[in-house]
Amino acid sequence: MLEVTGLSKSYGKQKILTEVSFTAAPGACAGIIGSNGCGKTTLLSILAGAVKADQGSIRYQGQEAVGAPAVFARAVAYVPQENPLIEELTVRDNLSLWYRGSRRELERDLEEGAAAMLGIPAMLKKPVSRLSGGMKKRLSIACALSNHASTLILDEPGAALDMECKADIRAYLIQYQKAGGTVLLTSHERTELELCTQMYVLKDGRLQQVEPGLSEEQMIRCIR
Amino acid sequence: MLIRFAFWKLEIKRALQRVPQLFAGVVVLMFLAGTTALFASRALYGEQAAGRIPVAVVLPEEELLAKKALSMIASLDSVKSMCDFVYQDRETALEMLKAGEVYAVMEVPEGLVQGIMDGSNVPVRIYFPENAGIESRIFQELTDAGAGILGAAQAGIYAGDQLCAAYGLESQIPLLEQDLNRIFLSYSLPREDYFRHIQVDATGDLGTAGFYGASAYILILLLCAVPVSGYLLPYRPVLERKLGMAGMGPLTQVLARTGGLGILMMAATGQIVLMMAAGMAAPGELGDIFFSLKAGIGDSFSKAGVWDSLTDKLLLAVTVTAVCFAVAAVVVLAYRLAGSLLGGIMLLFLLATVQHFLAGGFLPLVFLPASVKGLAQVLPSGILMDAVGMALTAHWDGMVFGRLGLLAAGAVGTAALWQAGGERR
Repeated sequence: MLEVTGLSKSYGKQKILTEVSFTAAPGACAGIIGSNGCGKTTLLSILAGAVKADQGSIRYQGQEAVGAPAVFARAVAYVPQENPLIEELTVRDNLSLWYRGSRRELERDLEEGAAAMLGIPAMLKKPVSRLSGGMKKRLSIACALSNHASTLILDEPGAALDMECKADIRAYLIQYQKAGGTVLLTSHERTELELCTQMYVLKDGRLQQVEPGLSEEQMIRCIR
Repeated sequence: MLIRFAFWKLEIKRALQRVPQLFAGVVVLMFLAGTTALFASRALYGEQAAGRIPVAVVLPEEELLAKKALSMIASLDSVKSMCDFVYQDRETALEMLKAGEVYAVMEVPEGLVQGIMDGSNVPVRIYFPENAGIESRIFQELTDAGAGILGAAQAGIYAGDQLCAAYGLESQIPLLEQDLNRIFLSYSLPREDYFRHIQVDATGDLGTAGFYGASAYILILLLCAVPVSGYLLPYRPVLERKLGMAGMGPLTQVLARTGGLGILMMAATGQIVLMMAAGMAAPGELGDIFFSLKAGIGDSFSKAGVWDSLTDKLLLAVTVTAVCFAVAAVVVLAYRLAGSLLGGIMLLFLLATVQHFLAGGFLPLVFLPASVKGLAQVLPSGILMDAVGMALTAHWDGMVFGRLGLLAAGAVGTAALWQAGGERR
């Protein structure tokens, strides 16, 4: 369960977020839309613990995360827009860097966990620099989920990926939700937003809930 | 803790992936630096900077005492090693000077020796050609130095004379002068012996080859980071942020990078030693270069008795390790400050060459202005070369270790602060 209350953030005099509040239950997928530069990435970075909010509360499974990095580390899997991977190293090296568990647990995950579902075992020995954009994104998600977090935050997961890869990632997100995980994503793509059980529009720093399943024209109207 | 261990391990793995580039770079740098060091050492001491200096001497007729004094001066080691005195009449001597056959004409006046003894000091006239070359300048320095010595000796004798007069012992003055002459010689002659047996070098405690070996070693370490620039670039901001979230902030990242590069620097050191061993077997000039460097460094080690003591050997290993990691910290700082591949390479090159020169790495500090000498104490190359010099002479000094530690800690701290500032920016 993710509960966000009164979250605000400014860079100097520029207000990015103002009193942002929402909740997302286990198994839910919350989508956030907004125009470029409206503060979506900042909001997700704050929810992942990468950036500090000026004020507000973030609770994961009832535990306050603001000022408690351990709660963020345990509860959140964050996949930023750019892949946070070390290019010269192999897929296995990158996985082992972020994996929070024993070697045996990692092997089990590679057989039947998130990594297996994302098709990671087939590319374990390859250097990341030789992977396609889609493969890198899968690996980023697998690395992020190596803490077995209950909330998966994705910043535009389908950006610059081919259709097959997008479909694979969508399939995985559906599985993740079914297993009781909470997904929070930002996107400009309708197919990804179709996964969302709740939708929000971020405009002028304020978050406003809208009905999921809006048409493209309706979404554009909301963002303007 | 586990994730930190994994991060350090992977940083070292990334570093080791660059070993082939590092080794290729060291081969090129080793040859360049070795050649430069050899030529520089030759320019300073290896071969005669100037040829012998022929000087025409014009003596007054029938002045046997002056001729004796002149032949005594000509037999002095410092004069004998450089000057050839030819005795001529005035006209011939000046003709020879005009024709460029001699670099100076020394015209000795009548009553020279008498003048020295009674203090009237009739000056010796010395003629130099209009466009005096280096030989003429050297002779001028020699005569100036000689006049200075003579002046100091005379001042001592006059002081003794004055003291005798003040106490009413005028009758004792001749005896005093005789004794002073004898005592003066008894002190000055052993000094000449001292200079003959103990090498006095512009490069300090180190011999020329040892000094340039140390200088080249530091320069190679600094510059061999260029081929591994890819490893030294900071991570992308998104990865830095993610590492920070996992508890590996700027300080851990900089330390890990320094550790990885430090290991590469140690590998480079090993390669340098192996290349020197192999290089000595090379034919011709190349073999000479390596042999000369090895001989100089080996000579320093042997003189200092480094190989005789286990403690010295351990301290040598500690110093080399510390130097490698301090160089790594400085290089990592340069790349952090630059923030890009090209910027890093340019900054490192500038850092390696300009400050190495200012720290006396190319020309020993004695040849540099006084203001630069003070600066050298705080420049990375100065601190690093001091440490290598300390190891070569086995003059272990806590201050040198302390300065080395401060350099490494300062570089790591500045790099971490710069990165943290960048994240905030």
